[in-house]
Order: sequence, then structure tokens, then C-alpha cells
Amino acid sequence: MSAPLLLAVPSKGRLQQNAEGFFARAGLALVKPRGARDYRGAIAGLDGIEIAYLSAAEITAQLAQGAAHLGVTGEDLVREMIPQSNQRVVLVTGLGFGFANVVVAVPQAWIDVRNMADLDDVATAFRLKHERKMRLATKYANLTRDFFAAHGVVDYRIVESSGATEGAPAAGTAEMIVDITTTGATLAANGLKVIEDGVILRSQANLVAARAAAWTGEQRDTARLLLDRIAAQKRAAAFSEVRTRFAGMNEKLLGIAREKFGVASPFGGPTSSGMLTLHCPPENVHALANFLRENGAEAVSVAALDYVYARDNPLYAKLATELDKRA
Amino acid sequence: MSSNAEVGPDSRAQALVTSYMRAGYLRLEPPVLQPAEPFLDLSGEDIRRRMFLTADPDGRELCLRPDLTIPVSRDYLASPAAGKPAGFCYLGAVFRHRDNAPAEFLQAGIESFGRPDKAAADAEMLALGLEATTQYGVGAPQIRIGDVGLFAAFIAALDLAPVWKRRLIKDFNRKSSLRHDLDQLTLAASNGSKEYQGVLAALNGSDPKAAHHLVTDLLSIAGIATVGGRSVAEIADRFLEQSALNAPTRLPRDTRALIERFLSIAGDPDDAAGELHALAADAKISLAPALDLFETRTGFLAARGVDVRAIKFATDFGRGFDYYTGFVFELHDGRSQRALVAGGRYDGLLTRLGAAEAIAAVGFAASIDELAAIGGGEADMSGGAP
Repeated sequence: MSAPLLLAVPSKGRLQQNAEGFFARAGLALVKPRGARDYRGAIAGLDGIEIAYLSAAEITAQLAQGAAHLGVTGEDLVREMIPQSNQRVVLVTGLGFGFANVVVAVPQAWIDVRNMADLDDVATAFRLKHERKMRLATKYANLTRDFFAAHGVVDYRIVESSGATEGAPAAGTAEMIVDITTTGATLAANGLKVIEDGVILRSQANLVAARAAAWTGEQRDTARLLLDRIAAQKRAAAFSEVRTRFAGMNEKLLGIAREKFGVASPFGGPTSSGMLTLHCPPENVHALANFLRENGAEAVSVAALDYVYARDNPLYAKLATELDKRA
Repeated sequence: MSSNAEVGPDSRAQALVTSYMRAGYLRLEPPVLQPAEPFLDLSGEDIRRRMFLTADPDGRELCLRPDLTIPVSRDYLASPAAGKPAGFCYLGAVFRHRDNAPAEFLQAGIESFGRPDKAAADAEMLALGLEATTQYGVGAPQIRIGDVGLFAAFIAALDLAPVWKRRLIKDFNRKSSLRHDLDQLTLAASNGSKEYQGVLAALNGSDPKAAHHLVTDLLSIAGIATVGGRSVAEIADRFLEQSALNAPTRLPRDTRALIERFLSIAGDPDDAAGELHALAADAKISLAPALDLFETRTGFLAARGVDVRAIKFATDFGRGFDYYTGFVFELHDGRSQRALVAGGRYDGLLTRLGAAEAIAAVGFAASIDELAAIGGGEADMSGGAP
């Protein structure tokens, strides 16, 4: 048998649960045929894929080297750990979990610092006054350096921090930090505030592809099947199915519904008897149901969708286009 | 050791450093492995990605020396000569990631410390730098010079808030930032937040001491503990500085035009000095000590036989390093992308490396591999160099 497509998935914690949940919703059950403690797995009913359970940092490193074809990891790690990441990996799609922002935070007492321009000025003034540069604790040295360079801030020093970064200013080992936050509560508890324009990256878990992996024809075919299911699930999650039938349903009404509620009609316009199936963004279904009844519908049914398969496969198309770019 | 054969100095480089020793510069050979801290602190975080970093067992960051200026400065400070006039030369490998070029490459150069006759010392560095191109048979390289001290003196003389002066000086080496600053200045967009605008306006013009106490009290009432290295007094001072920033006493458009006029002055040093005098007279400001130094230096250059008319001076010429404080220069040749020789004055560096008092410093480095690549075939010039 030829080499399988290697998909790297987080091996522990909430990221693992979320990733498994995501694949399960796409009808892709991750299984460990040799027991729960195994670090290799498969997908039930889909041949040609091997699952590697690794830490998010290891997954990112493997993707950079091309040792895995696809992987689930945070965009923050991709941008931090892989230099010129766009040339090494493809962010195929955001997965809708693992949301977190990488932010610049300073002590709340710095009432004179609201934005990066203030920080720039304070950093220079600090250097002139103290004959040393302000220290910034972070584990995101590369993201920090690029962001600060873009804002023209030069008078600072990075202090590498591997844990409890938010405690560094109180501990006196740094004046400010760049760290990941979801609610900002931990920062506030440590007497810190996020700078107004200091969000470096809005990150979430991504399905990431490695450009440097082998990508044989078979592996591409497997990726296409995998991404087809994920795309079908993503599309299904973005719509509810709305069905109705009434004589007054015509192209003109459908046009209005498209405009007002963002509906799609995947199976074409109304039949001669006015039978119609619509896909509608979930937040608009009630308004759409009202609209249809006002125009003569006796009954409107709304149902959740499990999968919506379309002729095109946008996720695979994106991957294939990107992979073909490497000369 | 076999790799040394590839990057080892050729006989011309040896002859060059020998001539520097004959000119009175003591040869130093600092360790290749250096503490990373001074480089990161003085050259900025941006250099980190180009450095070869490692750590010792205690976790202290070490690096392969990315240049020789800082190692030579540290050796000088650690020597009995520290604080006294002393000059050193060097020839050795430095290590920096570069695009499309080997990361290990040779530099020869000079660092001169503690000389009070700055104009003469500056001119001597340029003349000794020209010896390097002569040694490699590169005739009449293009000489580009600048003077960071002129820009600093000019900005200091302008009617601008301290915040603006600090920013313009800091951004001198980053042209896109500098342009952005000038746009901001004209917009007069306040740096302060809109939320505090009213408070700041009320504070403006009030007794600074009382305002200072108010801010200090507000912080303690809010129960905000101060963390980090900035004191409450520092925070209060800058908060009040912002109120001054919003004061409607500026003529930003005129100031901007003046800055742009200054930055457009370029040409040979004598003509440029004339234009700078005219600008100072029109703006009713004085550039005196900096402009005097500039003109004296030009005189010394001419005395050393440098063709002053051929020098390309520009007020906006910087070398991209924040530690230069005065004269900066580069020698170029059309056949090479990079400068063949580059250097300048860095009077502030030694105090930042721990010297108790300011020590004047100026120096340069010659890129041996660039010179060898474009220079003529290896000729035996040892002993015969004029």
C-alpha cells in the first residue's frame, strides 16, 4: 500500500476534544484501533489516512517541515513558529474553536498609554531616562518583533517567557507583555490592560496544509474526500433548510427573498405548483417564514442540515491551487 | 578548520590591518562568542533574527559576534586604557544571516575612543577607510556621508513639543516612519485619547506641581497599583505632557515645510553647508555647534587629500543604526550592492555599555569579501602601500 495521508491532531486537552468534535460533525470519526493510549489513529470508513496525535507546537513544526500533510493547530503558533509561513503552509480553513487574541498589554496605571503611538513614545522616553530599554515578556517573539517594527517601536527588549507571562510586570522582570487572551480577565487580574490598537492577531484553530509534504496523487485524492466532507458540513452549518409550497411562489418573490434574507435555492426556482426548497442563514429563518406566510404560504418547514454537498469543493480547490504554486 | 581556508583573510587584508597597526592602532582579537545582551540592547530587537544565538548552561544568551564594534568597545572598557584616548584595529569573521550571501564573512576596521578633536578624528576615519579600497585596487569609490548630529541640532531648535522631538529623532533612521510622523504633525492629530481631551485641556496651563499631585492622587484613589519599571511620577509627567501637545500654539504647516526643506538638502558638503546656513537664517534658528563641526570636518577631509567636491552628502543619510550620533559615511562601488566600507561616530554607545562618563567614539568596518570580489587580482602590496 502506498504512503497514507498524514493528519496531525492535538493530543491533549480542550483542543483535542474540540478537534475530535469538529471531525465528528463532518462525519469523520477518529478512532484508535490499538487503544486509547496510542498516538496513531485512523478515520473510520476512510482509508488512506493516518492520524498522528501530537502537541500543537509539534504539529506546527511538522507542518513547517512537511512531515505531516495536514494538521490542526492555532494560527498564532503558525505565525510565530514558521518564518514566512505563507510560503511553507496553507491555512485551509478556520475551524471555529480555539479562539484567542495575541495582544500587547501594559500596566493599568499607565493612564498616559492608550495606543501603540503612546507606547512608542513612552518606550523612547524610558530609554532616554533610564539608559536601558523597556522589557517585554512574551513567548511570541517573532509576532511581537514584526508588529512593533510595523508601528516603528524600537526601544524595547524581548524577555523570553515560557509560562505565566502576565505575572512578569508585577514580578518586576518586564514592563509590558505580549500574550494570548480570550476574555482579558487574567490580564485585568494582574493589573494589566490591552492597548487599543494592540491586537496583533485574532487567532483560532485552523486546518493547515504543509506545502513541503510529498502530496502524491493518492494523497491528494484522500485530501479531496476529507475536505469534501468538511466543506459539506461547513456549508450545512451555515444554513437551515426551509421548505414551502404555495401557488403565489414565483421568481419575483424568490428574488426578494434572496435580497432580504440571503437565501440560496440549491435545487432551482419554484416548480409550477410553487414547491420550493431554500437554504437560509439560521439567524434569518424566522423572518423568512413570516415573509413567506405574508405572501400566501400555508405552511413553512424549517430543518437543520447535516451535510450540503455541492459540485464544487472550495476547500480542496484552494488547497490544490496553493500546492500547484510551488514550482 | 578547513573552512578557514575559504574565508581566511588574504594577504591584502593582512597588509591592510598591518598598515592600520603602523598608523598607531593596536590590534585586538575579541572572542567570537559574545554575550548577546549588548547587541540586542544597542542594535534593537530586529537584529535578533539575523544573529546566531545560543545559551550557556546557566541560561545566559550568547551569540556569535554579529559585528566587531561592540566587542572592541567592551574590551576597551575592560582594559586599563578605559576612559583615555585609545585606538584599536581588527580583522576577523563576523556572523549574520544575510540574503543571498554567506552568513560568515570577514571585516577589518578601526575603533577610536576618547579623542576630543572630533572633526579631525572623523576625517581620519574616512581617510583610513579609503585605504581599504586602495589596498584592493578599487579606484575612486563613491563617498556618501551624513551627519546625525545636524538633524538632532535642527530638531532641538524647532518650536515643537518634547513628544514630537523625541519621535522625529527616533524615526530619523526609518524613512517611512518619518514621513508618517510629518503627516501626523500636519494633521495635528492629538496623540492623546479623546476621552481625556477635556481633562487635558483643563490641566493645560495650570500649575504643573498641582496637576502632578492631582494625577498621582487619582491613581491612588482608583486603587491602581503601579507595576513595572515606570514610576507614578513618570506617568504623571507624560500625561501632563500630552496636555501641552494639544495646545493650539503650533504652526504645524510651517514646521513641516521647514523639516522637509532641511531633509532635502544634499550635494557636496560645501554647498550643503551654505544651504544649511540659509535655512537657519530664514527660520531664525541656530545650528551653530553642529554646523561648525560639520564645516571643520570638511576642512580636515580636504587637508587629508579627499576630493571634497566628489563627496555626496545628504541631510537624510543615516545608516539605519540608532547608536550613531554624528558623522556617518559609506564607500560604494557600482559593482557591489553593499557598502564596501561603512562607519561613523557613536558617542553615546560606551555609556550604554557601562562607562561612567561619556566617551567619544568613532570607527568603521571594511567588508573584506566585498572588496575581494570586485577588487583587482591579488597583488603583493604589502609594505608598498603609500
